Amino acid sequence: MKRLFCTLIAVVFFAYAPGAHAGELEDGASAFIRALEKEAIASLTDSEKPRPERVEAFRKLFEEKFAVEAIGRWVLGRNWRRASEDEQREFLELFEDLMVVMYVDRFENYAGEKLNIVKTSPVDENRATVHTEIQRPEGVDGKPISVLWRVGRQGDIYKVLDVVVEGASMSITLQKEFASIVKNTGSVAGLITELRKKTSELNPS
Amino acid sequence: MRKPTCIFLLFLCMISVAGCATPPKLTDKEAYNEYLAENDPLEPLNRSVFAFNSVLDKTILQPAARTYRDQVPLWFRKRIGSAIDNLRAPVIFVNDVFQGEIDRALTTLVRFTVNSTFGLGGMNDLAAELGLEKHDEDFGQTLAIWGSESGPYLVLPILGSSNPRDAVGRVVDFLVDPFNAWAANTGRDELTYARTGVAALHARAGILDLTDDLEKNSVDLYAALRSIYRQSRANAISNGNVPGPDVSSAPVDFPDFTDSKEISGKP
Repeated sequence: MKRLFCTLIAVVFFAYAPGAHAGELEDGASAFIRALEKEAIASLTDSEKPRPERVEAFRKLFEEKFAVEAIGRWVLGRNWRRASEDEQREFLELFEDLMVVMYVDRFENYAGEKLNIVKTSPVDENRATVHTEIQRPEGVDGKPISVLWRVGRQGDIYKVLDVVVEGASMSITLQKEFASIVKNTGSVAGLITELRKKTSELNPS
Repeated sequence: MRKPTCIFLLFLCMISVAGCATPPKLTDKEAYNEYLAENDPLEPLNRSVFAFNSVLDKTILQPAARTYRDQVPLWFRKRIGSAIDNLRAPVIFVNDVFQGEIDRALTTLVRFTVNSTFGLGGMNDLAAELGLEKHDEDFGQTLAIWGSESGPYLVLPILGSSNPRDAVGRVVDFLVDPFNAWAANTGRDELTYARTGVAALHARAGILDLTDDLEKNSVDLYAALRSIYRQSRANAISNGNVPGPDVSSAPVDFPDFTDSKEISGKP
């Protein structure tokens, strides 16, 4: 009888425990996105500094808030395993450069628009999706733009894993793009050449 | 009928010139699976049509859309947008019904009634202010709900990204549209052309920011748009209920954030 009681308590405990954790994950994830928005806009709209410095400040923030290496590795997909160690390293560097320039543009474009957090839903015990809307005067058809942030957690650290704009995932789109280039150029080296071209074109220095 | 015939002949020429993609050898299982998943056997042809469309877009549609966006006041563009949406309501209604979405069908019906009358011919979206938000449907989505597969990716001349299912959907939507039928029956075909032109201009202007971003940042614009088209269609078919694309496909096995040294090594 005592044993049964203990089992019952254990069952109840374990059944409720993840629920409590999930709520905490959701709160943590939406607070993380709120903070990210604030810091990103602060680092980019600091008119005291020249633009290259602002971009560098943003890069630091980006490295801290986005799981750049995890995303890069995932985006390269099956080609990651075919790449040499040097190629992997260079790919990740170029990938980060590309992402930084892309997101500098995006945050600058949206600075001043309101980012509303609509809701946050858990994906599993360590990942959550933060649903946000950006109200633009123009918008797509005057409707607010839907932006989902997929956030992962490890201990106390939260990082962005993917950004989904109007139903299109950045990571999936990049993965398809890169796979297409590897297919057409025949190798990861070909992709790296293309990325090098693109980043120097976007970042003339 | 002369113009469509010409375009069709041009299309046939392009097929014979560009031909099909060669699938990878069966022995490379991964490459072969990737080829199947890409579902784009006409890629070389699609890429040439895409290049042709890009030139048209850059030389005609984009400049027009930019002028429209920058010169026409926002309140006026909103009226145009609402009027275009309102004209589309009958088609949306039919597709709501076909998909068994009775609530959404009623929303569309009330929206059309309110906006066509009190909204002055649809120029004001009063229904949205009453809480009846607009939504879109088309026969391509209806076919998907009925279980039809999309088929391979297609880039149509002028019309852009599509697939056989959505192409059939476009034709059906055009045929069911009472406005087009009325225009054709009363010899006012130019109204259909005008409507199509204005709708295309308005829609293009609405996505200028997104396409500028893509054109600047993407490394393979064709592959990016192919993926985005598929993702946004999947999103539209599920009426946005599925949170975007399959969650499981986003980075799952993210490595340890805290130990970045580990990542640079070979997995």
